[in-house]
Amino acid sequence: MPLDTSTYSLAHLRVDGRRWNELRRVHGQISTQAAADGSSYFEMGNTKIICTIAGPQEQRRGGNSGQSHDAKVEVEIGIAGFSGVDRKRRGRNDKRIQEMQHAIASAFTHTLFTHLYPHSTITIHLHVLSQDGALLAACINAATLALIDAGIPMSDYTAACTTGSTASYASNDEAADPLLDLNSMEEQELPFLTLGTSGGDDQVSLLIMETRVQATRLEAMVSVGLDGCRQIRSLLDGIVRAHGKKVLEARVT
Amino acid sequence: MPREADPSTNEQAFLLSALRENIRLDGRALDAYRPISLSFGEDYGTADVRIGKTRVRATISADVVTPFVDRKFDGVFTISTELSPMASPAFEVGRQDQTEILLSRILEKTVRRSGALDTESLCIVAGQKCFHIRADIHVMDHDGNLVDASCLALIAALLHFRRPDVEIKGEEVTVFSVREREPVKLAMQHQPFCVTTSCYEEGTILLHDATLLEEQCREGDVLISMNKFGEICQIAKYGGAPMDGLSILTCTNTVLERVKIFDQLVKDRIAEDEKRRDVGGLIAELSAENDR
Amino acid sequence: MANTIPLSPAELSYLHTSLSQTPPIRPDGRSPTQFRPLVAETDILPSANGSARICFADGTEAIVGVKAEVEKSSARPGATTDDIFKNSRDQDGDVDVDREESDKEGKGRDEWLEIAIEIPGMRDDDSLPVFLSAMLTEALLSDGGLKDRLWINSRFHWRLYIDILLLSQPRSYPLPLLSLTTHLALISTRIPALISEHDEDPLFNDDWEASTFLYPRSGELQARSKPPVTLLVVSIGEAVLFDPSRDELAVCDSAMAISVAQSAGAGLKVVALRMIDPPSRLTAGGVPQVLNSTSNPAATASLSPAEALVLREKDQGQTVWRPPRGGVRRAIISRIIKMVVENNGVGEEVIAGLAGVEA
Repeated sequence: MPLDTSTYSLAHLRVDGRRWNELRRVHGQISTQAAADGSSYFEMGNTKIICTIAGPQEQRRGGNSGQSHDAKVEVEIGIAGFSGVDRKRRGRNDKRIQEMQHAIASAFTHTLFTHLYPHSTITIHLHVLSQDGALLAACINAATLALIDAGIPMSDYTAACTTGSTASYASNDEAADPLLDLNSMEEQELPFLTLGTSGGDDQVSLLIMETRVQATRLEAMVSVGLDGCRQIRSLLDGIVRAHGKKVLEARVT
Repeated sequence: MPREADPSTNEQAFLLSALRENIRLDGRALDAYRPISLSFGEDYGTADVRIGKTRVRATISADVVTPFVDRKFDGVFTISTELSPMASPAFEVGRQDQTEILLSRILEKTVRRSGALDTESLCIVAGQKCFHIRADIHVMDHDGNLVDASCLALIAALLHFRRPDVEIKGEEVTVFSVREREPVKLAMQHQPFCVTTSCYEEGTILLHDATLLEEQCREGDVLISMNKFGEICQIAKYGGAPMDGLSILTCTNTVLERVKIFDQLVKDRIAEDEKRRDVGGLIAELSAENDR
Repeated sequence: MANTIPLSPAELSYLHTSLSQTPPIRPDGRSPTQFRPLVAETDILPSANGSARICFADGTEAIVGVKAEVEKSSARPGATTDDIFKNSRDQDGDVDVDREESDKEGKGRDEWLEIAIEIPGMRDDDSLPVFLSAMLTEALLSDGGLKDRLWINSRFHWRLYIDILLLSQPRSYPLPLLSLTTHLALISTRIPALISEHDEDPLFNDDWEASTFLYPRSGELQARSKPPVTLLVVSIGEAVLFDPSRDELAVCDSAMAISVAQSAGAGLKVVALRMIDPPSRLTAGGVPQVLNSTSNPAATASLSPAEALVLREKDQGQTVWRPPRGGVRRAIISRIIKMVVENNGVGEEVIAGLAGVEA
């Protein structure tokens, strides 16, 4: 189903009525599940993720513990069969999912203070309930919230979002606009990248792009993405602070 | 579970302090590659790439299959990668290793998703017959920078490969063997190459073509695939140390330079190989004339 | 569950004794038929036909999504001529709704329903998810009404996918949680209204407001058919306890999963009943005073292993904890069944409670 992008140039409004630099509704909750060490629920538009953290706990497999003096971060992503438009079951050995798991694990290995928990494992379980674009970005944001809930020390939030470009390869290259936070229809049509930042302004900890695009477009996409990540970061910060306030108020009364 | 031994603390410290003075252990400049050798096999579609001690062999094969129901007008193109214990004792047969998954994903994104091979040209009869092009990547020796070497080998092999010619007469399809009719080249739309940049010291030191030891000591890496027209086919920076947004952009410029060198290298070698093979076509070969 | 029970023989014995009192004294002060509070919500996912989420008091959480897809029916061997005959008759005259309803009867097939369970840290072919999905499928299919409602016409049918996600580590036996969540998701499941007729390619009304519930909501509460719920019941001595906590499961004599369903026009009936190996069997027994080598070294030193075994057996769990052995008496099973299915019994209470959950 080709997306009609021609109307974009007329009113500068996207299929869902957003402007180029608008995020979708972001909603997050912390401590959604009592049984987990840390948990969160995160929505970016219609993409909905539940994240639970187990650990830091003793390493499950003793095999390679001898060499590591840092905690190991493991990620498990489960994409529910009902999450897409058509019902589809993905095996856990799907390479795309394994790649995402690796990306998330190595992004957090760097921001978490893993050296405080030698010989242990931190497992991040991500359950994708509904997907509508920005899957990897939403997973990262959900994991950040859940890791904060689990009380694992970290140097900074890892915030992520997607950016695209209205330039389909051949046409209107010069007039192309960058777009922030694509939904799944836009993701199918347009080149896009997932950007994750952590540790101060413009520090890119994760950048994944899977579609072909002119190198000249990249600069605009990255700078819009950095701005989007800044917005996401402040939203995440708001969620954490609101939760902290609620917890404190419950203590007082 | 066998596992690559981590380098000793002394080794790591030595390597890093040398890097801080812009010196690599093998004396290369930071953005220099080890000597690259590219050779082709006797058959069409085998390429052997050596970058320093790393050695990768790509083999292309074709057969006729029925296309997928949802893609009636497209041929099938698959890439399979195998890391055998031959390359490194850390690899095991049958077990899916992290390195292997990432390697196959990067190749998939660089070559397949970017549409390097025109799959529509592989269709013989819509919905019934098409070519299945299969690329096998065998890593023979692993001394770092597997992805760049595999990508180079894959593209070179695809350019080198010739598929059997076909003729369609109404319902009837004839596939000619190599002896009957000159086989045809694959339709390539562009030639993407992948370049890995390793970063050290919080992203301030960037280098290309890391050896295995350098890979083990790095803080992060950025894999960028581009073609010579300056199109980015794929970027993958999986976590690791954060990098400045701007330095990633400058990265793409150095990658483009490198990709142009790769492109020229493959082009030259292919031309050399063709020259060697060209003895005047089948006519010359089948000629009954003898030198007297 | 493989996770070990962190209770000493003395604690187990204390729990067992207080639970076998009449009335039993439960650690959290509940009555035998009282359930722990739970958090439930339905219709949480826009992309599924029906969905529900339940959070139990012990922190375990499950999400169920139901998705229906139209599928071409493969010809049923042997029955095709009959079907064609019936359809030709249908096309002759007007068909009223009642006829159509009755026409669906007996046409549903078991394979139109697919249940998949995902439990974190377990493979899909591990014994627990396979066993749980078999049990839930069995209970759902035993009431023929559901699969018959999936029939559209002789060429097409709905295929119902029920995906069950356990979001937390399986702390206690997860079957009741999964079953209640599935029940809740199924009663919120809606399928688009059919606007095409007879054997045409099915065409549906785009308006979600016009969709119909898979389990009809109109009519008397008693007359409606409802998907089954599976409850976990344990017996300890003479006592029968519903919704056992982890500690209670650790000392129970027997545990069983009982599935009840409400079919249209009739009351509750038991559709499946299974004994579950109680985790209490894995607990370590206590050492009777006569065998205690620290307080009674002289007496125990002279005992041969065979004599010690006899002494241990003689105690029969009277003075110290002994893991339960053997099965459960028939009288207790019949009491459990009666408590679940009787009018205003536990089963009705649970189903009514779930019916009250709002989106």
